[in-house]
Amino acid sequence: MSEVDDLVAKIMSELNGNGGTATKTPTTDTASSEPNLTAKDFPLFRKHPDLVKAPSGKQLKTITFQDIVDGKVDSKELRIAPSTLRMQGKISAGAGRSQIQNNFQRAAELTGVPDDRLLEMYGALRPFRSSKQDLLDIADELANKYNAPICSNWFKEAATNYEKHQKLKGDN
Amino acid sequence: MKRQKRFEKLEKRPVHLDGFVKEWDDEGLVAMRSKNDPDASLKVENGVITELDGKKREDFDLIDQYIAEYGINIANAEKANAMSSQSIAKMLIDPNVSRSEVVKVTTALTPAKASDVINQLNFAEMIMAVQKMRPRRTPFTQAHITNTLDNPAEIAADGAEAALRGFPELETTTAVARYAPLNAISLMVGAQAGRPGVITQCSVEEAVELGLGMRGFTAYAETISVYGTDKVFTDGDDTPWSKGFLASCYASRGLKMRFSSGSGSEVLMGYTEGKSMLYLESRCIYITKASGVQGLQNGSVSCIGVPSAVPSGLREVLGENLMCMMMDLECASSNDQTFSHSDIRRTERMLGQFIAGTDYISSGYAGEENSDNTFAGSNMDVLDYDDYESMERDLAVNGGILPITEDQAIKIRKKAAKAVQAVFDGLGLPEITDEEVEAATYGSTSGDMPKRDMAQDIKAAQDLMDRGVTVSDIIKALDDHGIDDTAQAVFKLAQQKICGDYLQTSAIFDKDWNCISAINDNNDYMGPGTGYRVWEDEAQWNKIKNIPWALDPQKVDF
Repeated sequence: MSEVDDLVAKIMSELNGNGGTATKTPTTDTASSEPNLTAKDFPLFRKHPDLVKAPSGKQLKTITFQDIVDGKVDSKELRIAPSTLRMQGKISAGAGRSQIQNNFQRAAELTGVPDDRLLEMYGALRPFRSSKQDLLDIADELANKYNAPICSNWFKEAATNYEKHQKLKGDN
Repeated sequence: MKRQKRFEKLEKRPVHLDGFVKEWDDEGLVAMRSKNDPDASLKVENGVITELDGKKREDFDLIDQYIAEYGINIANAEKANAMSSQSIAKMLIDPNVSRSEVVKVTTALTPAKASDVINQLNFAEMIMAVQKMRPRRTPFTQAHITNTLDNPAEIAADGAEAALRGFPELETTTAVARYAPLNAISLMVGAQAGRPGVITQCSVEEAVELGLGMRGFTAYAETISVYGTDKVFTDGDDTPWSKGFLASCYASRGLKMRFSSGSGSEVLMGYTEGKSMLYLESRCIYITKASGVQGLQNGSVSCIGVPSAVPSGLREVLGENLMCMMMDLECASSNDQTFSHSDIRRTERMLGQFIAGTDYISSGYAGEENSDNTFAGSNMDVLDYDDYESMERDLAVNGGILPITEDQAIKIRKKAAKAVQAVFDGLGLPEITDEEVEAATYGSTSGDMPKRDMAQDIKAAQDLMDRGVTVSDIIKALDDHGIDDTAQAVFKLAQQKICGDYLQTSAIFDKDWNCISAINDNNDYMGPGTGYRVWEDEAQWNKIKNIPWALDPQKVDF
């Protein structure tokens, strides 16, 4: 399942480019170039610090205390990168927790959505907030603007289920 | 009637101030098995669940749909559900069957089947099972840090003291909602001053809480509530899909999170469908699993007044904790909200989780006097510390709270209050005076604190959000004031959020920022001589043994 998701993500990413993301993702940051990790690779901070990068692609260990004090680091740099989430997902799956991997794969896609927009998207999924079309529009936005095919499907699935179970705008 | 004197005396005992009711299945006032609970059933066709607990796919409600889609390990489901509940229950307590073997079966069960398994166990067996099934080998506990005036110096001081006493997670909330960013910052700074590696949260409205995390003011969240009936879930202003998405939002910002649920919430919100509390809670646990969230705060939580009023209610509460662990989820096992006037029942409430050990025995031990607990009071508070520590020593149990000396407390409280004073100065927030630092150092409640101008604080809190202040500004403020070690600790926390190790199941940090989780500290209990034993954890046991108020017989003149 995860490999299919990775593949879909990669294809979508290639089709759509990387425009419009809040967290700039270096082009080398694709799922296929990431190592296969297992539970034995935990914790990354001690065992593989070299694999952990800030969203800009800068290595974790090169972001120093002094840089922050000197105001040389944008606070957006102090965030988890999609590649790190996918690596943590592999560790979770390796420990027998495939659902956590699914969550981290969704999360990896969402790193590119700006904070305010992300909060709005969450709000749109709350009951009676959105029409079916509103949800499908966000699904399109996720797929096309943020290269987030898994999350796009999440919204499509919600649209179908909300229609069936009366959770759309006006159903209350 | 002429009163019988003993009965008159009994009625005056504190336990008579507690609420007790008889069962009523149709209103869901039943702990473990309602006549309306479905019988377990499962049908899988072409890898899709087409029948779940007596319902056909076309009749699924939103929760059934979500659980069937994501919550059950389908590959093993038919085989696991064909086993008798009794034989699965026996696996849970059989020391010869490892946790990982049990999890293969239990994560493939349906909610009704898992409920039936829990129903096979008596209280002592549940303790045995929890000891084996908690994901992390080493037990810990969590504290609430609040006060009714939202005083920042007191939050920092109480947070630091709790951190020093061994709580790896601290949770605050607000008395006045708009204080949220100030409380979050005060607690984070206090915690890192007290013991680097302690992670903190601020429980407020879902979207606001995530916003605080995005700025780096908090490191985790746990009050992301889920419910067991569709109607209550909707009344809670969410759906399984919105909560699942929210879970991914948190992970996308490198923030640890767990869901929250508990028996009795559907009763209080009026829509139980006549189902038992255990069965409805089973659905919450499966929603959590389905969402790919690493853990759950459960065990009735703030609804404890409901299960504790009905027969077998506190057995049910331990049972739902156990079910959470059976689903391989981190369990923060409640023991938080106050429910009884009786000290005997307060102790009874936490007995199972305390003896067995859970990931967090309490998910809100009051790290302040209960009068200052803005979560409506906890089952135990700071004035119970010495009783609790005596129990750990008596029973040789690691309950996650360590004795400290008065001198240590004074030092750490002052350090934290001064650190938050520096941060407020650096961020341009209303001054924390030296008088406040002194009062927070030596005080016990918000009544001991000088009054602050709350209107000015609230205005400053909003301004701080508008200015886009983040954790980088806090690090700078600490460094500018020469508070190096706390500045470094806040920086290291920010580094860990980039790394994401603590997003894994049951993760906490030790004082050297080693991430300890169910992956590298997995519970290996298989009977006597295995698993966690406090006397083998020498440093911890020495601290528990050496309560400051124990006499040294070799130094006593007889």
